[in-house]
Amino acid sequence: MSGRDFLTLNHVSKVYRRNQSLLERLKKNNTGGTKAVSDVSLTVRHGETLGLVGESGCGKSTLARLVSGLMEPTSGEIAFRRDAAGKMPRLQMIFQDPYSSLNGRWMIEDIIAEPIRVHKLRRGRAAIRARVDELLVQVGLSPADAEKYPQEFSGGQRQRICIARALAGEPEFLILDEPTSALDVSVQAQILNLLRDLQKNLALTSLFITHNLSVVRIMADRIGVMYLGELVEEAPSEELFLRPRHPYTRLLIDAAPDMDTSDRTLHPIAGELPNPAFPPSGCRFHTRCPFAKDVCRSTTPPQKTSGADGMFRCHFDLDLSNGQAILPAAKARTA
Amino acid sequence: MTAPLLDVRDLTVTINRDGRLITALDKVSFSVDPGEVLGIVGESGAGKSITGAAIIDLLVPPLKRTGGTIALAGERLDQLAPKAMRRVRGDRIGFIFQDPMTSLNPVITIGRQLCDTIEAHLKISGDGAKKKALEWIERVGLPNPDVQFKRYPHQLSGGMRQRIVIALALCANPALVIADEPTTALDVSVQAHILQLMRDLHRESKTSMMLITHDLGVIAKMADRVAVLYAGRVAEISPVNELFNAPKHPYTHGLIRATPMPSVNGEVRLDQIPGAMPGLGAVPPGCAFNPRCFKAEGDCCSAVPPLTIRESVAFSCFHPLEKEIA
Repeated sequence: MSGRDFLTLNHVSKVYRRNQSLLERLKKNNTGGTKAVSDVSLTVRHGETLGLVGESGCGKSTLARLVSGLMEPTSGEIAFRRDAAGKMPRLQMIFQDPYSSLNGRWMIEDIIAEPIRVHKLRRGRAAIRARVDELLVQVGLSPADAEKYPQEFSGGQRQRICIARALAGEPEFLILDEPTSALDVSVQAQILNLLRDLQKNLALTSLFITHNLSVVRIMADRIGVMYLGELVEEAPSEELFLRPRHPYTRLLIDAAPDMDTSDRTLHPIAGELPNPAFPPSGCRFHTRCPFAKDVCRSTTPPQKTSGADGMFRCHFDLDLSNGQAILPAAKARTA
Repeated sequence: MTAPLLDVRDLTVTINRDGRLITALDKVSFSVDPGEVLGIVGESGAGKSITGAAIIDLLVPPLKRTGGTIALAGERLDQLAPKAMRRVRGDRIGFIFQDPMTSLNPVITIGRQLCDTIEAHLKISGDGAKKKALEWIERVGLPNPDVQFKRYPHQLSGGMRQRIVIALALCANPALVIADEPTTALDVSVQAHILQLMRDLHRESKTSMMLITHDLGVIAKMADRVAVLYAGRVAEISPVNELFNAPKHPYTHGLIRATPMPSVNGEVRLDQIPGAMPGLGAVPPGCAFNPRCFKAEGDCCSAVPPLTIRESVAFSCFHPLEKEIA
């Protein structure tokens, strides 16, 4: 692990097993199960935001749980940079739904004070209360809100409370799992701007998980694209959008409808997302890829490096910087 | 100028909360022309879904329609008896719901559900209905209609289920389809498929459509005209090009600027609207948007701006934006 590396994932996999019968357990039958995360290796550097995008079932939330330590990986290892005393960095998580992630019976003051008490970051009631007020102001609420209950707040305000609670633990590393997908557009913009300011001012390292490519483009320094449990491409944010190397990345960028009313064509990705329990052989994207050849069906593509620090998994070196280039191939496949 | 297919005037819906009447929809007026796609856009709580439900009289108490007129091809729907209204639903107005998991019956095969709907509305039965059902399964793009016919909703993926819901809404050849967030529960790649399907079927059948969504990207690609709702009132109704290129209402402008979307030169901008939409019963006096509006003046706080019609656009604002202030 080099000096700037904050978190390294080394060939991490997670298999969800169904409940096995006694007979299967006695036979030590370990073949079943869904590989939610498959052989993912990546590095998050100090002070950087790594974005993870993908459709439902691609394993991005599972990866967040693995990194946060809420689950153990089936294989592979997750290593954080440790300080001189060998201590792990402090880590906090912000969840998707601000309605179910706050305890409705607790006052805001107690919710935000809990991490402070648990980690013994401040001593004495007055000092803790002062810190709570400071955090509330930091996330754009007022100290008077400390005496209220969560249900008195709107969705956007609740998410601000969740952010204040996460910051109360003075984290060095923040995991954000779809922090704005439950929010309306105008409120989402507020929360994204707040998070962007906090990242800048507090020099946080973070993992930002979302299915929305535009959101991740705004928030992340580097982006990883996941498909059916595999990391198919990773590149610096702008590089990924301007020169995607994996066909899936290209198609995903084009599939989301933009606000251009002069070109109203839609760009669906052929086929449907396969069942993650039975991923296709070879390259997992071959069933939907407009460039698929025989080799894709039989052989797992190698991991190739792109640019200064990017990687992608594809048999071919395709030039996908122009969205139109992929269209004829995609059309032929849909027809 | 052709007569509109659906004409909604001053539609008002109220909630009775312990004797206190709260306005959920406040004099909403719009029309849908034959063959047109009208997009209805707004944030949650703006009254989009209530508008859709009110038209086909599917409001759930304590919501109640208390005023306004709804006319479908000249016939007043708001004066129909419940029994007659039942014939309109599914027959002349089809409905596509948001969640394909809950809008299909989980214990009946999709073939049976299609046949039931076709038999109820088209006066054909038995083999004729089955033939028609198989046709529809094929038309909405599901492979092997014979196999799909015998399957249950849980055996289909979300996208396939939504295709069946679309087939159910369209199989009786309705004059108008109301699609309430048809792609919100779906992934991006599947969403594009469903939108493409809806567009193809719309072109074939010339059905009018009301497309309710919070996603401006979907609106930009699908709608001919767009109505923007805010706090139960119409903020602006414009043809789709005007709406995105020269919005009149400051809220429309703010909503477009707040959507994270790369601009043409690849730059990503994000301008927030301060505050949040007022909740039910907490709408401020005057224009509902005035506390969040950068153009608000004294008159905005005292009187509700009326819907002003200027050529093809209509807006309810005292101080409309003149040109795109990019």
